Amino acid sequence: MERALIIKKLTKSYDKEPVLVELDLEVPKGTIFGLIGPNGAGKSTLIGILTGLLDYSEGSIVINDLQYTPSNETEIKKDVASVLQPPLLFENFTSYEFVTYVCEMYGTNSRDLNDKIKSLFSYFEITEFTHVKTKQLSSGSRKKLAFCAAILTQPKLLFLDEPFESVDVISIGRMKNVLRKLKENGSTIFITSHILEVVENLCDDIAILHKGKILAYLDSESRKELEKNSSLNEIFEEYVEVRPTHPDELNWL
Amino acid sequence: MISKLLYLNWKLFLARLTNLQTVLIIGYSLFLVGMFINLMGSALLVIFLDSSSSLQLDLPWLTPEIHNLILLTFATIFWIMHFSFTSTRLLNMEENRKLLALGYPAGKLSWHLNLMCLYHPVNVIYNLTWLVFLSLQINSAWNIPIVVGAVLLNYGVIYSIKHRFLYMVEKRFKVIIFSFIFVIFGVISVLAILSRRTQSVLNDLAIEFTQLVGAMELLPGGLMFRSAKYSHEPLLTAVLFFFMVLLTYLVFRDHYYKTMEGLMRPSTIKIRKDVSRLWVFLQKWLGDNAGKYYYYVMTHPYNKLQIFAVALIPLVYIPLLLIVDLGDISIILIATMLAAIPVALLGMGMANMFGYEHREMLLHMQFPGSIEKQLKERFLGIITVPLFIFYAITVFEVIKLPQLGDVFSIYIANTFFFLCFMIVFLWSSFYQYQKASYSTFSFKHPIIPQKVTFTMSSAIFVLGYTVFVPLGDLHIYRLWIMTGLIVAIGFYIWKNFDLLAKAFKAKILIKLWSNF
Repeated sequence: MERALIIKKLTKSYDKEPVLVELDLEVPKGTIFGLIGPNGAGKSTLIGILTGLLDYSEGSIVINDLQYTPSNETEIKKDVASVLQPPLLFENFTSYEFVTYVCEMYGTNSRDLNDKIKSLFSYFEITEFTHVKTKQLSSGSRKKLAFCAAILTQPKLLFLDEPFESVDVISIGRMKNVLRKLKENGSTIFITSHILEVVENLCDDIAILHKGKILAYLDSESRKELEKNSSLNEIFEEYVEVRPTHPDELNWL
Repeated sequence: MISKLLYLNWKLFLARLTNLQTVLIIGYSLFLVGMFINLMGSALLVIFLDSSSSLQLDLPWLTPEIHNLILLTFATIFWIMHFSFTSTRLLNMEENRKLLALGYPAGKLSWHLNLMCLYHPVNVIYNLTWLVFLSLQINSAWNIPIVVGAVLLNYGVIYSIKHRFLYMVEKRFKVIIFSFIFVIFGVISVLAILSRRTQSVLNDLAIEFTQLVGAMELLPGGLMFRSAKYSHEPLLTAVLFFFMVLLTYLVFRDHYYKTMEGLMRPSTIKIRKDVSRLWVFLQKWLGDNAGKYYYYVMTHPYNKLQIFAVALIPLVYIPLLLIVDLGDISIILIATMLAAIPVALLGMGMANMFGYEHREMLLHMQFPGSIEKQLKERFLGIITVPLFIFYAITVFEVIKLPQLGDVFSIYIANTFFFLCFMIVFLWSSFYQYQKASYSTFSFKHPIIPQKVTFTMSSAIFVLGYTVFVPLGDLHIYRLWIMTGLIVAIGFYIWKNFDLLAKAFKAKILIKLWSNF
């Protein structure tokens, strides 16, 4: 199967403190992939590296068959979009100015862009904020706007860091619909989350990241097999070796 | 409970102070002491003025009327400063609101926060200055309660106005106040220049002084001043004091309810729709990166104020210098001020290069296209607009102010002036990016602080004197030296054009990410 993303021996440290340790990961094309891990596992750092915001100490990254090097950076980024947590928006721009600016930078400002924006804004119920500065938006609307901007760039690989945080239930459902549609069209979606339910229903393959290392890679087949006997939550706890609690531990309560 | 609250708020205040602000607070306290001594001296001067003929001989212009005018001017300006620089957000409401969730009753917190405001170091300084200043003016012991009442009422009224008209104060009023201060300084400068030239002019202006004093006495600062000066009658004092107490009570009651409202309904910001043609224009003129940068800079309220100040100084002083022809000094000052306008804009641009976007810059990293290219486009934009202004000013000088020199001299001198500061700003920014610090020309603090403004102003005038002072026959040699240096600096800047972009990418982005 073709790979949208191949990471080999990726290492990243902050002030000699390792965050990612010789990480290996491969994500198949045209799938929804979920990366789960507890707080501080290195998920956001990995997303930061993959979206070009952070450099790395060692290793190699191949995105859509292109080796991540300075000379390939522009070519790679043309097909990659992301929504980070918290989302990155241009605070002085209105919602409309923001999405058109992003499309301008990606070169996806086609003639029907306005129609696409209208329909997306309407779908996510943010039409009333079209001409409102992004700094005035609520955290849920900000997330939805960043999502719309990312979708409008027509990415082949979409990175989503905690995509459903602070978004209402209805919008979460609609975001999932859009993601499934993108997958049908051949795009790859890379989601990180610490909420297992989010990835459990949506993702095809799942990897567990802990202390900068991939502890397990569960493709759809192996997931089916494992989930016969235990829930994803139990599998996760088993892998990250959660410290067992004693019933009398908080006796004073 | 209140002592803990006091501790919390002082700690919050001190935690937010930079080293410079700490020095400024200490400096201001010393200034207060100095002012106290000066005012004592002034008081003694006025007291002995009638009897001491030697003083009258030494300072013949310092009549009681002029002394009164000086004190009134001080009171007026000080009130304006008090009004403009006392922010209603001196207290960190977000932090204090958390106390509501920790069992602090809202009513009590509201009342205590009002007390906290009064105890806030900035307010303590302003109110103490009023007390010292007014105490020195009092005629009798009957004035004391009125002075104390006036200081309290004044503090309360300022806060009320600011609460009620917060939007106006933030968006527009500071501009009005700044212009007012500049006009006052302009008027004082005119008076100073005229009084130096001839004593008779001063005498002619005596009538205008009386009218000015009459008007200033009706301004808030003047009213404060009068509270210490009115005739001392017990009945009048009692009536005035009663009304002051009543008004102070009403004002503080209003504060109580407004604070309570602020605590219980903190986010009542109305969502506003914005349709800006400015962005479209700038995007077309300067491109996506530089256009966006200028859009941010031009819509930022601090920059509006800075641009206003940059434009206002020459607008006030150049006509003055043209009217009061001081010969070579006028030529040097006019040429320097005009040359300084694009330099100031360039300084503001470099200081704000990344300041308003912070983590938004990370989004630029994700766009297709190298970040260095995007940053270089931005840097080019920062140079383009001041250059545009630079050429406009040079053309204006050549056409309208021929006394400044011939076309070549003006052009070379202005170019040299501009490039010298461009290289200074380049180095400063590079140095600050290495430290990734909060200070000037850093990525986080886009406002040029006073110490840099002062240093730059001094540097501008020193360089202005060097470049524009008439040298007679030696002028041609200076032109050649400047031309040589222009070529050298231009070459250096051209070779190091991507210096800032590289430094920013290497140091600042990591910082932005870790603050993410």
